[in-house]
Amino acid sequence: MRKGFLALVAVLVLGLALAPCGLAAQKTIKIGINAPITGDIPKVGEGSKYAAEMWLEDIKAAGGLDVGGVKYDVEVIIEDNESKPESAAKAATKLITEDEVLAIVGPQSSAQAIPAGEMANNFGTPMISPWSTNPDTTKDRPFVFRGCFLDPFQGPVVANFIKEEFGFTKAAVLYDVASDYPKGLAEVFKEAWEKNNGPGSVVAFESFTTKDADFSSQLTNIINSGAEVLFTPQYYNEVALIVQQAHELGWKNPIVGSDSWGSAETVKLCGEECYGLFFTTHYAAAGATGATKAFIDRYNQKYGYVPDDVGALTWDSLRIVQAAIQGTGGLSGDLKKDREAVKDAMANIKEFDGITGKMTFTPDGDPIKCAVIVRISDKGEFEFYKSVCP
Amino acid sequence: MVEKNSASPGNPPKRFLRLRQFLGDVPLLAWLFGGLISVLIEQQVGERLANLLGLPKIPVLFGFMLAMKEPLLLPGALAYVLVLYILTIVLIGKITARPFNLMAAKMIQWPIAIPVILHLVVLYAIMHFWADISLYRELTLKLTLIAIMLTLSLNIINGYMGEFSCSHPGFMSLGAYGASAVMVLFFVNDRLFGDAILPEVLGPFLFPLALILGGIVAALGALLIAIPSFKTRGDYLAIISLAFMFIVKSLFENLQFLGGARGLKGQPDLANLPTVFIWLVICVWVINNFVRSTMGKALNAVRDDELAAEAMTVNTRRTKMVAFLFAAFWAGVAGGLFAHTVRFINPNTFGVQRLAEILAMVYFGGLNSVYGSIVGAVSLNLLGEMLRPLALFKWIIIPLLLILIMIYRPTGLVAFKEFDVRKLIQPKRKPEKEV
Repeated sequence: MRKGFLALVAVLVLGLALAPCGLAAQKTIKIGINAPITGDIPKVGEGSKYAAEMWLEDIKAAGGLDVGGVKYDVEVIIEDNESKPESAAKAATKLITEDEVLAIVGPQSSAQAIPAGEMANNFGTPMISPWSTNPDTTKDRPFVFRGCFLDPFQGPVVANFIKEEFGFTKAAVLYDVASDYPKGLAEVFKEAWEKNNGPGSVVAFESFTTKDADFSSQLTNIINSGAEVLFTPQYYNEVALIVQQAHELGWKNPIVGSDSWGSAETVKLCGEECYGLFFTTHYAAAGATGATKAFIDRYNQKYGYVPDDVGALTWDSLRIVQAAIQGTGGLSGDLKKDREAVKDAMANIKEFDGITGKMTFTPDGDPIKCAVIVRISDKGEFEFYKSVCP
Repeated sequence: MVEKNSASPGNPPKRFLRLRQFLGDVPLLAWLFGGLISVLIEQQVGERLANLLGLPKIPVLFGFMLAMKEPLLLPGALAYVLVLYILTIVLIGKITARPFNLMAAKMIQWPIAIPVILHLVVLYAIMHFWADISLYRELTLKLTLIAIMLTLSLNIINGYMGEFSCSHPGFMSLGAYGASAVMVLFFVNDRLFGDAILPEVLGPFLFPLALILGGIVAALGALLIAIPSFKTRGDYLAIISLAFMFIVKSLFENLQFLGGARGLKGQPDLANLPTVFIWLVICVWVINNFVRSTMGKALNAVRDDELAAEAMTVNTRRTKMVAFLFAAFWAGVAGGLFAHTVRFINPNTFGVQRLAEILAMVYFGGLNSVYGSIVGAVSLNLLGEMLRPLALFKWIIIPLLLILIMIYRPTGLVAFKEFDVRKLIQPKRKPEKEV
């Protein structure tokens, strides 16, 4: 028995000595997708995955990605972050060190994008989060970018829109205190509103906690406060409940929302109660033209529903990554250098023409882009109302 | 290695017996030595061996992930693991069994600290070289070690004390926020706390104190819930502790100076592998001594019959209180390490999902057992990581495994087994030919 072992060892040693030292460099570009495929928000993960599949299809159809005159194969590696911070950090590390991706798209939510961005920045890998609105994601991280506008921009947009459109001076806010995004936006809105209309003009600033389903006490307070408009930066499932309950309690004034309303589910759950309401978002699906329409139609045909903003932003982010890779003018094959070059190219992108608007990155890695104000039409479609640019 | 040592179910089939016969005389130190050699070999020629077997890279987690993405590479990955880990370790362990047995026989007569430290150094060296291959391995390993601490600390309450406590994520978050707040306040230029107060070089020295502080904060939290809840038992404690978890979570959601729902980021990068390893060793050592002390035995008595224990002069109230606070302290320390590993925490991280994770590790590994906690935490963590490519199916396979474990071993894989260090490191003789 021992002889057998020895023979095996001898063969192995010989084999190792003769083995080539590493395979020849293949001409493949790998792009990592860090998305919440499982966990709390699987729909978001699904949207990112589908957008990535469509993008890959395009590249394949073109016979690969042309960088500086050389055609590269492209591989998309989708990694599940379970919608957990530590898992997002692990997924990012795996993509960077194991799969050796050139750039990462995702994670979507800030709670995952912040730790994943830390890893990406430490290991010098460009990362673009399509959907994260927390300033900390990109702050002081040259390698981390984002594909959407930030809350400090969106808040004033909503406040100014209401002022111009309706001429109201007293607003109420209802938001989820336990959730990062609504809370941040509610605060920014309050600040912007009070700047426009003087201190104390937000007459009711009511909060609840995630998974609450009964808002009658908050809504009663809001109605009694004499507010003329209600701003609620909530997700689709809560929007439906809030709007329905407000109407039941006799609220007749407008209710205005933010980009978190921009899901197909909002209208499905809310029904006619939501018709005629306004919200700000990244793009309007109904009445879209050009590339935006082409994207929506293709997505709808392929997956059977109109993509929400996550899908569109992921699509744009992937195309930004593509533009940045092509903007390097040629890859050296040295991953570290190439990542650096992609980062530089991405930071230098000017007036990128995405389906969610034109984008130019600030030195922080945040895009300067326009917001769209959408009206939910009488057919339940998201109709373009107007566009607000910074 | 763990699998081999624990391959002793009630009625082992014949070939297992033969394997036990063959490997029974290998002492722990020889196993560790084998492991060390195998990771050193991997570092030197792993890349070449992988290429030889047709793999693109060194299989990062025993080839699982690779094989799941590209099933064609499965034989290569298996061969890699077989040659590099299993064969090397068995071979070296077997060859060096005799000298290491002699050495162990000598060492067992010295003060116990010397051989224990020797074993630990070798164990650390294995982890170090293994994790050196890839940063992904290092991160996974660190989080696994932290999970062991959490599992072990919950095992004190749920296993040794026999209560069902659900507040562990709460304790963990108290520790995480406690330690992070101190470190961020002193060493980081931050939006929430302003400029750093102390120079950065002091960070590593203050870090242990910050962790201990985090632990103490968690223990204070535990005191708050222990006073009212120990008037109750069983289901009621579970409900009260669950409520406590939610209270802590919403507390941090509303504490603006700690970042609120947006979370706290920017913890200094101090939880490196040696730090986590040392804390884990201290944790296992202290907890193992605790559960084997008079207090630990009193704890078991309380679990089996509180009234009888009281009659036998056990101060049940004090015993329960101490155990509860003690467990919370270690959960807090683990939380602090967790925060400094991921370097971002938010209240949502410490919710029901985390609770389910820790409970699963405790019950999978085994109640009332230090071994069990280690086995449970390591296997569920590695499994979760290895099955990552399966995405949704992962959440079918792992719960299914748990159900199977609960059916065939209702108290977990390695339950009610004492962790005796002396027995572990003593020289091994060939087991007699029994049965």
